[in-house]
Amino acid sequence: MKRALLALALLAAAGQAEAQTLADGQIIRGHFTQERHLQGFANAIKSDGHFVLAAGHGLLWVTEQPFAVTTAITAEGLTQSVGGKQTAKFDAQRLPVLSRIYAMMSGALAGNWDTLKADFSVQREGAHIVLTPLRAETTGAAVGKISLVVSHFVDEVEIERPNGDSDHIVFSSQTLSAGPLSAEESSALGQLHP
Amino acid sequence: MRRIAAALWLAVVLAACLHVGLTVRRGLPLESDLMALLPTEKLDPGVRQAEEAINVQLSRRLIVLFGSTDATAARSAAEDLNYRLRESGLLTSASDIPDADAIKRLGAAYFPARAGLLAEEDRHRLMDGQGEELLERALGQIFGFGGIADGRLLARDPFLLFPAFLTALPMPSGRAHLEDGHPVIEDQGLTWVGVTGVLAGDATSLSFQKHFAEMFGAPPPGVKILRLGAIFYASAGTGSALKLSSAIGGVSLLATALLLLIVFRSVRPLLLGLLSVAVGLIAALSACLLVFGTLHVAAQLFGASLIGIAADYSLLYFAQIFSPARDANQRLRQVLAGISLGMGTTVIGYLTLALSPFPGLHQVALFSAVGLLAAYATVVVWFPLLDRLPAKPLTPALNRAAVRVEAFWAGRGRTVAALVGLVLGVAGYALLSIDDDVRHQQALDPALSAQQIDVQRLLGWAPSNQFFLVEGADDEEALQREEALAERLRPAAEAGILASWMAPAGFVPSEARQEADRALIEERLVRPYLPDLSAKLGMPLSAPDTGPPLTLQAVRDSGAIALLPAMLISPGRHIVLLQDVHDLTALAKVADGLPGVRFVDPTGEISAVLTAYRQRSVLLLAASVLLMAPLVAWRYGLRGILPVLGPPALAIILTPALLALIGLPFTFFTALGLVLALSIGVDYAVFCAEDGRLAPVTMLGVTLAMASAVLSFGLLAVSEIEGMRTFGAAMLVAVPLAWAMAPLAAWAKKRKR
Repeated sequence: MKRALLALALLAAAGQAEAQTLADGQIIRGHFTQERHLQGFANAIKSDGHFVLAAGHGLLWVTEQPFAVTTAITAEGLTQSVGGKQTAKFDAQRLPVLSRIYAMMSGALAGNWDTLKADFSVQREGAHIVLTPLRAETTGAAVGKISLVVSHFVDEVEIERPNGDSDHIVFSSQTLSAGPLSAEESSALGQLHP
Repeated sequence: MRRIAAALWLAVVLAACLHVGLTVRRGLPLESDLMALLPTEKLDPGVRQAEEAINVQLSRRLIVLFGSTDATAARSAAEDLNYRLRESGLLTSASDIPDADAIKRLGAAYFPARAGLLAEEDRHRLMDGQGEELLERALGQIFGFGGIADGRLLARDPFLLFPAFLTALPMPSGRAHLEDGHPVIEDQGLTWVGVTGVLAGDATSLSFQKHFAEMFGAPPPGVKILRLGAIFYASAGTGSALKLSSAIGGVSLLATALLLLIVFRSVRPLLLGLLSVAVGLIAALSACLLVFGTLHVAAQLFGASLIGIAADYSLLYFAQIFSPARDANQRLRQVLAGISLGMGTTVIGYLTLALSPFPGLHQVALFSAVGLLAAYATVVVWFPLLDRLPAKPLTPALNRAAVRVEAFWAGRGRTVAALVGLVLGVAGYALLSIDDDVRHQQALDPALSAQQIDVQRLLGWAPSNQFFLVEGADDEEALQREEALAERLRPAAEAGILASWMAPAGFVPSEARQEADRALIEERLVRPYLPDLSAKLGMPLSAPDTGPPLTLQAVRDSGAIALLPAMLISPGRHIVLLQDVHDLTALAKVADGLPGVRFVDPTGEISAVLTAYRQRSVLLLAASVLLMAPLVAWRYGLRGILPVLGPPALAIILTPALLALIGLPFTFFTALGLVLALSIGVDYAVFCAEDGRLAPVTMLGVTLAMASAVLSFGLLAVSEIEGMRTFGAAMLVAVPLAWAMAPLAAWAKKRKR
């Protein structure tokens, strides 16, 4: 989860660094394909779907294939539902890491790189950005290295973990809009405090 | 003969001075725990042991949070304090928030036993046949964004039950995370950085408090501070008790001095009066130090009040300079019987305090009795040698006032007063309420109480005063009983009776439960759903290996659960901590019928003991009247008992009614006040009875005594400590009442010997 939020933070931050600042209420929508490589598993676990990143609200990560899994992350915490039924819910009050990282994400959304620089060293080479955690005992326990390919938006993310697992995510068809969230999206993001 | 007695008494007083002087040079061994006023006797030694264990573990715990919008400032304030407290050896032991290593050790202790570990919610899902939900959750975590999926974990725990178990542990400090050993909490734009630990000394020890206060210092400007810990309450309590004690002593002394100067228009009665009081205090201090080794702050408070009472003998003596008595010896002869009898009855009254089982009151009893005896001895042995004052006429104004008092009781005033007293008494007793709640008897600093609520909100856990004591033949049985208790507490928490609880079994399920959960997982999850999960992942998966069961010892040794050692008193004896109890009465009944489980409410127990002793001290009052009666009968005959003991008895019977009329409840401390008021009232009655004709000088002496008693005891009515306040209020009403009725005692005919 920690890893997930970090990825989210980076996603947003990197996107903004390259392009326009994501103002409160602005929304990025797009498609993703994810390949998860787990130690001891011969085959990668593949999934694809779409995501909605709404500044000031949170992130909706909707896996469509092979299962319908929806993950919603907001300042209050994280919920997950499978086939429309909630299967997991983590309150940021209970897991302080969530709110801390959410704070970082908010900073990043506002284009504030300092928030990230407190936890990562940032190296850029053209379209390639590499982030390495500064402290092994905190963020370093969850993330080994994060590599990004950035154009107008973030196109690819590779997250490597200290235990040898890694996620490779490729984004496509990303759009930026100022429009409001759909009713469905709002309710999915509002599940923690209905 | 008289000179030999005076010289002997001088030797005793000098010895006491030397003793007290030497002790003061070494530093007075003062004690400040207000609870020491309360009885040590408890119903059950097992419960008491549990309370003490909890007390040592919890009362020595310390949490200080520094908050600022500037995280660096908050952090450096915390680091600074941490350094000072640990360098000076005041704070030992690590923080309440486990560090990364402790968490790793905890994980290492849990992991091998994972086949039998289930989160509460997951257990219910499996028991309800909802295993499919757990399959879906695992799929969500593996395929969804983020999740706790980990390749190596998944191979050993395919349904990810272990992370669910860990997240469901009733861990404290939900919102804090550790940064370089300091808990850090982000809240409403402020960064809070904490210092936590366990005090190396006793929070109620005055010298420890002093050292702590020196090292604690003040937070830097712009940084807010929140404090939680018994030491802060104790320091605040001691501070106000000491300040109040010296203020009462000072005001009482000043007012008494002024009174003497105005009435006698000479400095000698004042100086000699002070001498007798000082000798009383020194002797009392010396005796208390000899007998108890330490001096309780409460005893000091009463000691301050003693100043007023010990002055009575000098006052009655010096009132005689307005009488026809020619010299010091004649004056003493005039009052000797009165003050001797008064001293006797008062000491009887004070010593009945020693019959109570309250250790603090034993000190007070000894302090007052010794102080009075010494002051009395000073008057009797030294005054005739030191008093060189010529006789003086009484000022006409004072004379008239004294005559008027006498006339009032001789005339119709008596009937009017009786009627008024009857009406007020009946009305007051109809309104009388009783209050035994010990929490009302102590003053807790409101600022600290507010800070405590903030700290609890930020850290997410602070145990309440009540707890469940769970006992079994061994740890396994105790854990099983806690699991049975949890079945009752869960619906209670849902009903809002309490917020949450923390039991050893919440961290370490009993072996019986681990065995049952292992079977449950195998039967309801692995067998029906594992092939499905394997197919969806395209990977063969296996059920978790069955390892050795989890032991209490392994989890305790990890050091990751700071409160766990506090909950384990001894093998088979555990404590279940509670948080935010909203309905004490309902909670007390939750464990009814569960074997080996007892609800313990230390505050409630003390309140129950206060009830018992409030009732007992009313009996004490009756007892002291009975104890005084033979002495009175010896002097005035059987018929003298009613006139002499009647007025003070009536005064203390009327007092609770009058207090009720102004809305004050009857408490144990009211009863204590009445015990003392009775002794004092009997003094006045005896002084009047000794002088059958009620000479104005006697009335003057008694009135001066009453004024100084009200000045000293009555001043306690302004105390911040509720118990002291009710005590003071009782004195403030009872003593003037006893004074007003004392002239009735003049009817007692002195028995001719």
